[in-house]
Amino acid sequence: MRANVWSGRNQVEIETVPDPTILNDRDAIVKITSTAICGSDLHLYDGYVPTMKKGDVLGHEFMGEVVEKGRGVGNLEVGDRVVVPFPIACGNCWACNHELYAACENSNPNAGMAEKMFGHSTAGIFGYSHLTGGYAGGQAEYARVPFADIGPIKVEDDLSDEEVLFLSDIFPTGYFGADLCEIEGGETIAVFGAGPVGQFAVASAVLMGAERVIAIDQYDYRLQMAVNKAGATDVVDFSMDPDIVEQLKELTGGRGPDAVIDAVGMEAAHGHGALHAAERVRQAARLETDRGHALRDAILACRPGGIVSVIGVYGGLLDKFPAGALMNKGLQLRTGQCHVQKYLKRLYKHIRDGEIDPSFVVTHRMELGRAPDGYETFKHKQDECVKVVLKP
Amino acid sequence: MSSKAAVTVLGSAGEIQRRWEEGGYRPDYIESTDAAVSFKPAPGDRGTEIHVDLERIASGGRLGEMALKASGREPLARVKDDLRRFKARVETGVIPRSDGSPEGELAERKAKQRPAQPLGASELERAGA
Repeated sequence: MRANVWSGRNQVEIETVPDPTILNDRDAIVKITSTAICGSDLHLYDGYVPTMKKGDVLGHEFMGEVVEKGRGVGNLEVGDRVVVPFPIACGNCWACNHELYAACENSNPNAGMAEKMFGHSTAGIFGYSHLTGGYAGGQAEYARVPFADIGPIKVEDDLSDEEVLFLSDIFPTGYFGADLCEIEGGETIAVFGAGPVGQFAVASAVLMGAERVIAIDQYDYRLQMAVNKAGATDVVDFSMDPDIVEQLKELTGGRGPDAVIDAVGMEAAHGHGALHAAERVRQAARLETDRGHALRDAILACRPGGIVSVIGVYGGLLDKFPAGALMNKGLQLRTGQCHVQKYLKRLYKHIRDGEIDPSFVVTHRMELGRAPDGYETFKHKQDECVKVVLKP
Repeated sequence: MSSKAAVTVLGSAGEIQRRWEEGGYRPDYIESTDAAVSFKPAPGDRGTEIHVDLERIASGGRLGEMALKASGREPLARVKDDLRRFKARVETGVIPRSDGSPEGELAERKAKQRPAQPLGASELERAGA
């Protein structure tokens, strides 16, 4: 089959690789109908995630048709149309029993590698380095889905691929970021990053009843989308004024937002002159893996006693962490890879009931073979790119 | 070098110990050593803790130890492989396999991962999948 593989920093290519086969009774094979490039794929593309190997099939946002299944997959039939969550979860361990699917204790066969880096292993993830298992991803014609009796959600035929594809990652991830903020109604929520996940964090905060939702980015077209499609009430464009913390105070009468969501992660683009320059150098020299402007500013901007919710991806170590502000303001720092399986039914119902149409983020549609162009377009935000969908 | 490893597996101590001794679940490497294995209930219904205390095995001194460690064949790494595989087998019924680590958790694989792309037929056979 054809697949999009990682072949070095800033390099992906279409390669012909063997078709996947069933390796375990609980596996299924899915013929992919739609797949997408995620912002977190850019961290791999840019070379900031260790343990990548030349030839790794990328992609963790995909859906398609079940074409084969193992004996242990009782809930799916060949021919079913499914969306596959990006974390691979066994459904049996203590973490899965507590709906902490992204912390699954069994799905990473490179657990020993992850333990060295993070102290413990977490769930396997499709197409996302060997630290999270070394699983082939879904930017391909077919994918093997382990623990297929737990992850994939069946979707009805009258919904288009683009309406349901993002159940695989970015819609639940944005929703999870808002869920961590414990929104009860009336809050002000600030969202760093108006990329695809940030868009869904904004939309989810609105769904949950936040009164004001402030989108923060440096690209006007993304902020426009956050206002016009996701429902943001205010924006901070830091290409105009880099002092985000002051602008957030200004917008909230000096209080600061009740909760702040970091939907940016380790490659933050904003930052203050000298520190940003120093971090670029340290990151390039691999002395520091993560640039942390978004997280730092989230902590500085959040009101005392508030919540900082981190869904942007970090991979390693970060300097100049404002521990004093975090502690003295009594903030709650909450984070994680999204426990997608926990949210699937709820979010599918939101789509089914017409409360949200996640396809609003799609700006580019390409044949799988053009994946290398897709990565470049997305990375450099050419042609007002927000989200690229690939069709095998 | 630490000679202890532990894992927590869902299930009562009696059940976990019975499975430990059953054919299909036997942790082969641990069984082949003189390791002391003990089972105790974890607090709060978390299952059963399995503790393995590996007697220091003569490995050719410090250099020998380093060589073993680099190859992934260091005794403690192999004990951990056995524990993780046992846990996965008991809890999920399968040994989780990826394209990079088709044999399942295997210390020797850490240093030489396959690319994460599907395996051809001959590779599948070699990996025992």
